[in-house]
Amino acid sequence: MEESSGKTTKKHPWFWSSAVASIVLRLVLIVYFPNTLNFSSRPEVSTPITSLRRLAEGYWLKQSSMSPYAGSMYHGSPLLLSILGPLTGDRGEGQSHLLCGLAFVIADFITAILIRAIGQLLQVADIQSLKSLGASKFSKTSENFPAGDIAALVYLWNPLTIITCLGYSTSPIENLMIVLSLYGACRRLVPLAAFGLVMASHLSLYPVILIIPLVLLIGSGLDTPPRKLFLQPNHGDGYKKTNFSWRRVVLFFLWASVWALYVLVLCSISLKEYSGLGEMFKRTYGFILSVEDLSPNIGVLWYFFAEVFDFFRDFFLIVFHINILFMVLPLAIRLHHRPCFLAFVYIAISSILKSYPSVGDSALYLGLLGLFVNALADMQFSFFLFSGYLGTLLLSPVMHNLWIWRGTGNANFYFATAMAYACFQIILVVESVSSMLNHDRALKKGATPVAKKIQ
Amino acid sequence: MRNREINNFLILTTLLVITLSLSSSSITHAAVHTNNWAVLVCTSRFWFNYRHMANTLSLYRTVKRLGIPDERIILMLADDMACNARNKYPAQVFNNENHRLNLYGDNVEVDYRGYEVTVENFLRVLTGRHENAVPRSKRLLSDEGSHILLYMTGHGGDEFLKFQDSEELQSHDLADAVKQMKEKRRFKELLIMVDTCQAATLFSQLQSPGVLAIGSSMKGENSYSHHLDSDVGVSVVDRFTFYTLAFFERLNMYDNASLSSLFSSFNPNLLMSTAYYRTDLYQEQVEKVPVTNFFGSVMKTIHTDSAYRGTSGKDSSRVKYDVISGQSDDVDARRMTSSDPEKQGDHPDIKLVKGGGCPHADWWNAIVEKFQGIKNGDMIVNYGLVGMLTLVAVSTWQSS
Repeated sequence: MEESSGKTTKKHPWFWSSAVASIVLRLVLIVYFPNTLNFSSRPEVSTPITSLRRLAEGYWLKQSSMSPYAGSMYHGSPLLLSILGPLTGDRGEGQSHLLCGLAFVIADFITAILIRAIGQLLQVADIQSLKSLGASKFSKTSENFPAGDIAALVYLWNPLTIITCLGYSTSPIENLMIVLSLYGACRRLVPLAAFGLVMASHLSLYPVILIIPLVLLIGSGLDTPPRKLFLQPNHGDGYKKTNFSWRRVVLFFLWASVWALYVLVLCSISLKEYSGLGEMFKRTYGFILSVEDLSPNIGVLWYFFAEVFDFFRDFFLIVFHINILFMVLPLAIRLHHRPCFLAFVYIAISSILKSYPSVGDSALYLGLLGLFVNALADMQFSFFLFSGYLGTLLLSPVMHNLWIWRGTGNANFYFATAMAYACFQIILVVESVSSMLNHDRALKKGATPVAKKIQ
Repeated sequence: MRNREINNFLILTTLLVITLSLSSSSITHAAVHTNNWAVLVCTSRFWFNYRHMANTLSLYRTVKRLGIPDERIILMLADDMACNARNKYPAQVFNNENHRLNLYGDNVEVDYRGYEVTVENFLRVLTGRHENAVPRSKRLLSDEGSHILLYMTGHGGDEFLKFQDSEELQSHDLADAVKQMKEKRRFKELLIMVDTCQAATLFSQLQSPGVLAIGSSMKGENSYSHHLDSDVGVSVVDRFTFYTLAFFERLNMYDNASLSSLFSSFNPNLLMSTAYYRTDLYQEQVEKVPVTNFFGSVMKTIHTDSAYRGTSGKDSSRVKYDVISGQSDDVDARRMTSSDPEKQGDHPDIKLVKGGGCPHADWWNAIVEKFQGIKNGDMIVNYGLVGMLTLVAVSTWQSS
């Protein structure tokens, strides 16, 4: 073990230098170019839920003894107000929210470290299960490519994450909580996983569907090839059958309820003088679920709900939200042996179909995609997808400009790029799932009996 | 045993009925005086009835001077005296031969003019039952907090008032209209002032509560004009209105002369008739009601020091109110007493359990009171967040 870790650090010393370089880049851009890069005004970056400007407004309202949700500006958690509010100080002449930027940079860095740790755990588990299967060539590639480092660097150097960090959106904190919960579940640290899940779903509603992959991770462990490969007659003895540990799952739910109660008590204390938890739920979760704000973003819901008749509005709200929910169960059934990958797919689906998506959500799942480079090496259309992403993300601000500022375009231009972006995201998800399943099938074919190999 | 249960049950039901009736009686006085309206009606036409127009315009001027804006005045003039061909002073209407005041200045808004002043329109204005096309300026848009001044002048008689020399408004029509207004809660209090011959008979059929009425003469008496303006050529004002205006000219917006002083200022010798007023339907005491409750529009400004609480609905009882000094003790403006929000113990989300029955009630009450006594929620939240993070760290370290 020591030798392999020494090998990894010797072979890949570039990880820490690249990570620090990306942090330095963010700091330089925050400190020296605060006003030229107005990413916070872009609708792709800051949504009504994640915008820091709205958080500052909510904090100011709270300081003036009014409810932070008055006026329908702020739609986030009151705890975030207590944490980030004091950091949004006065905007002096040309001085943006510097301290908040630092907080987001730190959050990004911690997220990257945690992704790296998850990647290392996945790699170890992968090598172990592949060796017990006897699929040596797969395990060699797995050793050579440190998925954790690659994923962490993809996350740090992804232009989308940098833009989100500079755009003063609270997505880095949500991403941190999601990755924290995944890390806790991978390490079988039940309180940490429960904490991450509760905080992530408290900040934005959608990570609650991650409860399924987290339960699978805690119960049965990390990603493994399908169970039936191990039950083939030639190599049944090298594999330790681990049963699903219900005790840990029950402990997880217990801790999740403890954290949820704690968070709710804190929120009710925080909003005691205003109108309490009912208003908080109405303004945060109610706002997310009922899509009240129809300002354009990179998602597909705003255009639709701007033109739907009121009579059908509730029906279509249910349709759009069930669109995410009904994919949960089939994917869970098909990919239950790979819970980490399942979590990645869920995050990707929710960031396509959520009510106010932004590029911060895409940044998270693109980073997590890096964790599975070994399995997804044969993904089709990768170049097509890459150029598609690049094209739509470059065209989207152009269309926005044409529509809003020059008036030579209309909403259809902007919505076209949003639709194309959603299409590329869907193709990415579909292709990654199918290539993971192909990888499993290839394992089945390429698995050789252990008894014949002499290690 | 059973008798005792029945006794307890009866006592409980009587207590319930008593509390319900008390609460329901307190509900009836729930309306607060919020605005003042004036409906000023002159019902006679032709040049020799100049004084009726001058009466109405004088009241209009007084009421505007004391604060009621044009949006809340319905002025109905049956004829046009200012631009009448026989008016030596075109576009000017005087109520005194000294021609000191031009009542028809550049700020007169007449809502119903000429042949629009009919009994039907008058009753429609009072009851609010208009056609859809009638504009808002011609509607009496009062609500249950309004005080309405209704002034009518013209030629009248026993139980009637003549409109336009062709039709008449009878006293039971007026009473019916007022009853409809009361049922539709279109006024809180109504002051009817009538300046015609045998004026008191016009409101003899009234039965609705909250109505105060004064007429210039009783049954069998005539109301006379005050003086003749030899320059204009006709009588320019009636006695009753002349002395009413004499009373009001001494006042400004902030005076708190009472209605009883107005009523007692009428001298029968000077009026040459008995000014009769009817207070049996009026619940308040006329000594305590300021005239500006009807003739002016002094809104009580309530100054509050606490910040505006926007969204939550339960805060109206929490804010401290101060009434600005100098105002008379208003009978109908509710003085909202409150407690300091920090000492407020009435949190509607968490109800105090009645102690004594349940053994856990005492510590539950203690917890709830402590919870409500938290002064600085933000510090608690910050400590709570720090505590949460330490708990996460500890529990993670423990389970690893």
